[in-house]
Amino acid sequence: MPALVNYGGEDQFFGGGSLCTSSIDLDRLYSMGSSMDIYCPPHKRARVCGPYAVSSYEYEGEHLSSIEELPDECLFEIFRRLPSGRERSSCACVSKHWLFLLSSMRRTEISGEVDNSAKEDKEMKTSPSGDVEMVSCDASGGLEGDGYLTRCLEGKKATDVRLAAVAVGTNGRGGLGKLSIRGTRSTRGVTNIGISAIARGCPSLRTLSLWNPSSIGDDGLVEIAKECCLLEKLDLSHCPFVSNKGLIAIAENCRDLISLNIESCPKIGNEGLEAIGRCCPRLQSISIKDCPLVGDHGVASLVSSASSVLSKIKLQGLNITDFSLAVIGHFGLAVTSLVLGGLRNASEKGFWVMGNAQGLKKVSTLTVASCHGITDVSLGAIGKGCTNLKQMCLRKCHFVSDSGLITFARAASSLENLQVEELDRISLGGVIGVISNREMKLKSLSIAKCMGIKDLLQGSLMLSSCTSLRSLSIQNCPGFGSASLAMVGKLCPHLEHIDLTGLCGITDAGLSPLLENSEAGLVKVNLSNCLNITDEAVSTLVRLHGGTLELLNLDGCRKVTDASLVAITDNCLLLNDLDMSKCSITDSGVSVLSSAGHLNLQVLSLAGCSMVSSKSVPFLKKLAGSLIGLNLQHCRSISSSMVELLAESLWRCDILS
Amino acid sequence: MSSSSSSSSSPPCPKKMITLKSSDGETFEIEEIAALQSKTLENMIDENCASTPIPLPNVKGKILAKVVEFCTKHAEAGADAETLRAWDAEFVGVEHAIVFDYILAANFLEIPTLLDLACESVAEMIKGKTPDEIRKFFNINNAFSPEEEEDVRRQNQWAFE
Repeated sequence: MPALVNYGGEDQFFGGGSLCTSSIDLDRLYSMGSSMDIYCPPHKRARVCGPYAVSSYEYEGEHLSSIEELPDECLFEIFRRLPSGRERSSCACVSKHWLFLLSSMRRTEISGEVDNSAKEDKEMKTSPSGDVEMVSCDASGGLEGDGYLTRCLEGKKATDVRLAAVAVGTNGRGGLGKLSIRGTRSTRGVTNIGISAIARGCPSLRTLSLWNPSSIGDDGLVEIAKECCLLEKLDLSHCPFVSNKGLIAIAENCRDLISLNIESCPKIGNEGLEAIGRCCPRLQSISIKDCPLVGDHGVASLVSSASSVLSKIKLQGLNITDFSLAVIGHFGLAVTSLVLGGLRNASEKGFWVMGNAQGLKKVSTLTVASCHGITDVSLGAIGKGCTNLKQMCLRKCHFVSDSGLITFARAASSLENLQVEELDRISLGGVIGVISNREMKLKSLSIAKCMGIKDLLQGSLMLSSCTSLRSLSIQNCPGFGSASLAMVGKLCPHLEHIDLTGLCGITDAGLSPLLENSEAGLVKVNLSNCLNITDEAVSTLVRLHGGTLELLNLDGCRKVTDASLVAITDNCLLLNDLDMSKCSITDSGVSVLSSAGHLNLQVLSLAGCSMVSSKSVPFLKKLAGSLIGLNLQHCRSISSSMVELLAESLWRCDILS
Repeated sequence: MSSSSSSSSSPPCPKKMITLKSSDGETFEIEEIAALQSKTLENMIDENCASTPIPLPNVKGKILAKVVEFCTKHAEAGADAETLRAWDAEFVGVEHAIVFDYILAANFLEIPTLLDLACESVAEMIKGKTPDEIRKFFNINNAFSPEEEEDVRRQNQWAFE
């Protein structure tokens, strides 16, 4: 056994012990040499690191390998033979090179998968960090019985390294089913590399949602399309680099696509949509918003060639014309929910044809916003054509007048819920006209921000009252005053919910006909910001409806005082949600309220009541039995130490302060 | 020089031998039958390039000798599976740097059995170790930034349990 030499670079021979911890290695080297004629010159020994064997030697002129010198294909062969996902996860944490190599392995390329790790996936774990990452178990087992896990990457945490880690980490544990990436315009955001890692590692991906990813483009989507054939829901929002190519690849490979949502993707156009329509027979829901390249061709071919299961269509801010509306009208046989918004190029004719085409028989929810093509005529046609329409929402359609609205309401015989917002041409006559219809099935009417409604009614009419209306909401219509309310009140005897937020014009006198006329009891009453309501109205309300009233909101009613609280306590049996924010109530009012043993108050708000002081704290403690929500924001007279004291006794309650 | 290690009685016709030349100029002889385990060599044999010594610039002499030994052993007729497995285990029970050389050689020469064996043995070395241990064992440089490492660990938390 030749003595080891330590070649310090000089021609000196040092005797001495071996630096190598295991001399067996040398044995092997030299045993090989004994039968061979190899000349082994004295050699330098590399520094020993750790208790393990030296990992790299340096021969003069010869060089033995370290694992880092193996080409990727060899490392790949090694990783393929790792016994389980656990080992692969360990290797993923070793270095970036190994991470990305492991994440590029397709599941089919891994041999000897032991799948009893799938049983571990049923545990719920929560991540300790503050970012919005969750590990949850979705019981959505598909064809592969996989795809239990959900990951959500946000902001700065949305990086390629994390995606690669997710791809490796979820692989042995039930597979990734849902992935959502919400990026920012950061420099180290997610790129196609990360997405490719996900594609290869998570073939069971079902839901992919990309919001504002900094540099994901077609190549990434093509990878997803190739590997994740079980994809069901795709959501692309603000993806400036994704074009038709990516969408076509998805269409052709992910035949099980159920839902597609595209928003603000400037490069996606008609060809992509046409491919979706052609290749995805199971598509149920499509939503396209603010994509300037999308036009009639794409929408029409999607709607007309998609099979009979397309049930939800949302088209907003697109350059489509009457032609698309006509196609929807004719071919939307399975559509149940339709949303059309901001269609600048669609005219009255298009909507009229859509209604008249008799194809939209199954539509039960229809929303139309900011479309100047909605006029009295076209609205009427829609009312007649959508025979199953239950819920209608009209926003910012400035050409609709009273008569159009009334005609529509009468024609849509199944209508149960009508919401109208910012229709500036509507006046009180329209509202009355809609309501006073004996045959109507309308249960809920909501009118918001209609500036045209004023307190005058032309002519006197024989008005029939509406027996079906249960919920009436008139919000922020500044012209709607007491006289209007009185008239409306007389027509709706069966109201249960009323919401009169922001109607600063109404007074007690206007409210009382409504209160008195109600045969059924009122259940929810919202009078927030009705500045002129006083104790008198509240007393009348609780006197007449105390037996049924559950929610009362008097936020901002500055004229309401302790007297109302007394009345409430005396009369209300079922009240569980009371909002007295910014009312002029004091400690004595609170004490009266808290002494009501029969009240099971769950939510109470005294925000902004500056006359309620720390003296009320013991009274509030009495409500501990039922209270789960208490709002004490801006109560200047209650100190924060008192609030903390209160929090201790009301431990079940969520206190805002 | 290694010669054929077959101990059976000499066959009726002389065995066809092929000469391989390593990167450092060593020559080795190998039976054609054994050489067929390498797809690379098989292709060369088929195309009649095997009459002269075949230069293998990617494989060092030391390693080539072992590879020849491996192929010859595996080409032996009548070896039972048990002994072969034991022999294999001993073959890869060497310094892991040498096993990497086996992998490189098997990859270059396309010898699936040797590749399998060597890769399995490296996989065995990795098995059961934590990432830190793996890094130390193979002397790998950690190229992660601290946050990246945190990310990766959290996603692969189960490996540490």
